[in-house]
Amino acid sequence: MSDDPPLPGPLAGLRILELANETGQFCGKLLGDLGADVVKIEPPGGEPNRRIGPFLDDIPHPERSLSFWYYNTSKRGITLNPETADGRQLFGRLAATSDVILETFRPGVLASLGLDYESLSAKNPRLIMCALTPFGQTGPWRDYASSDLLHMAAGGEMASSGYDGGDAPNAPPIAPGGGNAWHMGCHFAYVAIMAALIYRTVAGQGQYIDASIHEACALTTEAAIANYIYRGEVLRRQTGRHHASGPTPRTQFRAKDGAYVCALVAGRLNPKYVRDLAELLDTNGMAGDLKDPKYQDPAVIAANTSHIIDDLVANFIASLPAEEVYHAAQERGFTWGAVRTPEALLDDPHLHDRGFWKEVEHPEFGRSFIYPGEAAIYNSSPWRISRRAPLIGEHNTEILCDELGLSRAELSVLAENRVI
Amino acid sequence: MSRPRALENIRVVDFSWVRAGPWATRWLGAFGAEIIKIEWPENERGRLPSTTTPQNLEVNLNTSGNFNDTNVNKKSLSLNVRSAKGLEIVKRLIAVSDIVIENFSSRVLQKWGLGYRELCEIKPDIVYVSMSGYGHTGRHHHYTTFGPVAQAVSGLTYSSGLPDKPPAGWGWSYMDDTGGMYGAMCALTGLYHRNMTGQGQHIDLSQMVASVPLNGPALLDFTVNGRGSRRPGYPPGNRAHWPGTPLVNNYRGPTVAPHNAYRTHPGEYNDWCVIVCHTDEEWQRLVQVMGAPSWASSPKFATAIGRLQHQEELDEHVETWSMTFGKYELTERCQAAGVRALPVQSAEDRVKHDPQLRHREMYLEMEHPALGRHKVQNAPFKLSETPASNHLPSPLIGQHTKEIVEGLLGYSHEELRAGFDDGTFWPTKRARFPYMEEMLQ
Repeated sequence: MSDDPPLPGPLAGLRILELANETGQFCGKLLGDLGADVVKIEPPGGEPNRRIGPFLDDIPHPERSLSFWYYNTSKRGITLNPETADGRQLFGRLAATSDVILETFRPGVLASLGLDYESLSAKNPRLIMCALTPFGQTGPWRDYASSDLLHMAAGGEMASSGYDGGDAPNAPPIAPGGGNAWHMGCHFAYVAIMAALIYRTVAGQGQYIDASIHEACALTTEAAIANYIYRGEVLRRQTGRHHASGPTPRTQFRAKDGAYVCALVAGRLNPKYVRDLAELLDTNGMAGDLKDPKYQDPAVIAANTSHIIDDLVANFIASLPAEEVYHAAQERGFTWGAVRTPEALLDDPHLHDRGFWKEVEHPEFGRSFIYPGEAAIYNSSPWRISRRAPLIGEHNTEILCDELGLSRAELSVLAENRVI
Repeated sequence: MSRPRALENIRVVDFSWVRAGPWATRWLGAFGAEIIKIEWPENERGRLPSTTTPQNLEVNLNTSGNFNDTNVNKKSLSLNVRSAKGLEIVKRLIAVSDIVIENFSSRVLQKWGLGYRELCEIKPDIVYVSMSGYGHTGRHHHYTTFGPVAQAVSGLTYSSGLPDKPPAGWGWSYMDDTGGMYGAMCALTGLYHRNMTGQGQHIDLSQMVASVPLNGPALLDFTVNGRGSRRPGYPPGNRAHWPGTPLVNNYRGPTVAPHNAYRTHPGEYNDWCVIVCHTDEEWQRLVQVMGAPSWASSPKFATAIGRLQHQEELDEHVETWSMTFGKYELTERCQAAGVRALPVQSAEDRVKHDPQLRHREMYLEMEHPALGRHKVQNAPFKLSETPASNHLPSPLIGQHTKEIVEGLLGYSHEELRAGFDDGTFWPTKRARFPYMEEMLQ
């Protein structure tokens, strides 16, 4: 990490307390990677999501969860049990000097411990508290249990994703992978927290935020809601392409190496596009009859859409490896792409040019590992991973003794009493 | 609306179009920033082509339903920025603004003479967010994306589907929605930094690059353990694990069964419910909800490993039961017993049938001058002091040209009329909308 410019991140100076499980930890990572001092507060023994695999070398252990590692970079970590009187008191002291609390407890839990926003903000009116929960703090589903898959169902992601009947007969709606329900909730929570922080720079006052993952997911299906509201349409699922009210031409084609290419052609076919397309296909001798002047007539193009897409484009893509099609097409101005595996990105020279991949040290293993980096480059306050995820209670001494003023003896007593 | 707004007095010059950029500024507008969309009808993308115009209305620049939902809380200035006069006007606007945001290809603003350096000369502490496909730096900065292409190239598409089938991918431009969220996140973060330090900056966001970190655990499984995702049983559809393949985590949470979508009564296109049991205890609760059928008492389903090994049989049994209920009734029965279950919901389900979204007032009606009264999507967060709200319908194209040119920038009414006559504010050969004639009175 020595190459990083010595500039602080845009959120430098902010102290965040994160009491978040798998649903909210990504929001804390974003705040931390952007420069805030994020203190992750885990129950004694560590967050249960430290037990989510995969694990380093496939050896299960709470300090070896790659999922936990990824979602908890740039945070410091302490353990604290807010259900004990000592834990509540310590939490209150931390909250008094913090800017933001991000919490994912079930609705009502913090209030039952006397740690609701009213109590905490009475001592720190500048405090911002964001409760990020599956359904928000109110409503008939407020106490429902959830999971990533459940949110992808109720949020509408699954109703839009899946297969053409011919590709996978009787296939269910398919939930896209990777834990993206949590990402959607965390993106919106981040936006709400930033709005509150900006307001605080002007008004000097904090506030409470009630954020809902279900609503975040329900908002993230592009035009599906508008199609229903304005036209009463319910959209159908199609393989590897947009939902639609009726069947649309395919956009995913198998290349010579078995990988797929996403080629957006339908709806763009005008005479100029066809001329450019003929040249692209001709680079591998696959233009077929597309150079025929008859294709400069929009009516002829329209009558031959299926021939152009299902014969000419499909055969061209089948004649080359997916990466070659991708670059040849993009260099000629076509908005096409290879359908890559995530790990193929490690070899992407563009990402290397942007310094995207980051080496993160894990000194307790004497090793460094490559992590994905930032979505955007900030030219005067960098977005960067400042440290690997904390070990369980790694910063108990640093934060509770050095910063909060407890003695080492008190810390020992708190450990013995399962407070930390 | 007497409540204060989080972004009161913040002005945004919004060059963005189509979906990702406008989705970003929608949220800045919801917090009270003044969003000024710079539009030009000859090369407009977002209003047309429209597939969301109500069947009873003519398709034109002002009747796209999706545009309306994506562009609430904004104003529209129609301006030919490619003319010298238009460029001068937009520079005067930037001089009194806080944020410039655009989602053009990587060199467009530079070519107009509005690169970051020039923007700083106009407004030294400007926060400039560029939302391009590949970013402004890196050898492929000139490549272009739409959501599906960013999703394909970044590995997101690959991570969705059934084993041994083509990728199912995402059935919409997830990275237009999510790219838009990153645009909003970057703008707000840059604005906070400016308020604290007095310093603006250029934030170079890439839609494709922003997609990559969304596969974090899969990427670490490769960089740390050397395990690639081109492997048997991946991606496992809706399951946590595909039976008969190596038992590894598939990046959606714990490796458990049941974990799937099940058909429900009456078996129509979207009649599905998902059910997930994370523990033995949750499984036993599901057994009780199902009425403790004899098959469920088999020892092979008693353990987590057993349920994973016999997942095909397990799923068949669960679906035989689930088919006897509607998806909402099934959800209620399961959740009342502490079992994780929710219905697959179409857009119609969300707008009409979802009791939680109704309670939270997710869809409230709003009047639009050309579209009439329709529901608009609200924010997924409730702020106690500065709530986000939809307070303006999407603008008609050029609706606020007079307000901005005369009211904000101080040009005279004669200059406005001259600008309409010379093609600065509207193409001379294009018919004007009636509200344009009115503003020229």
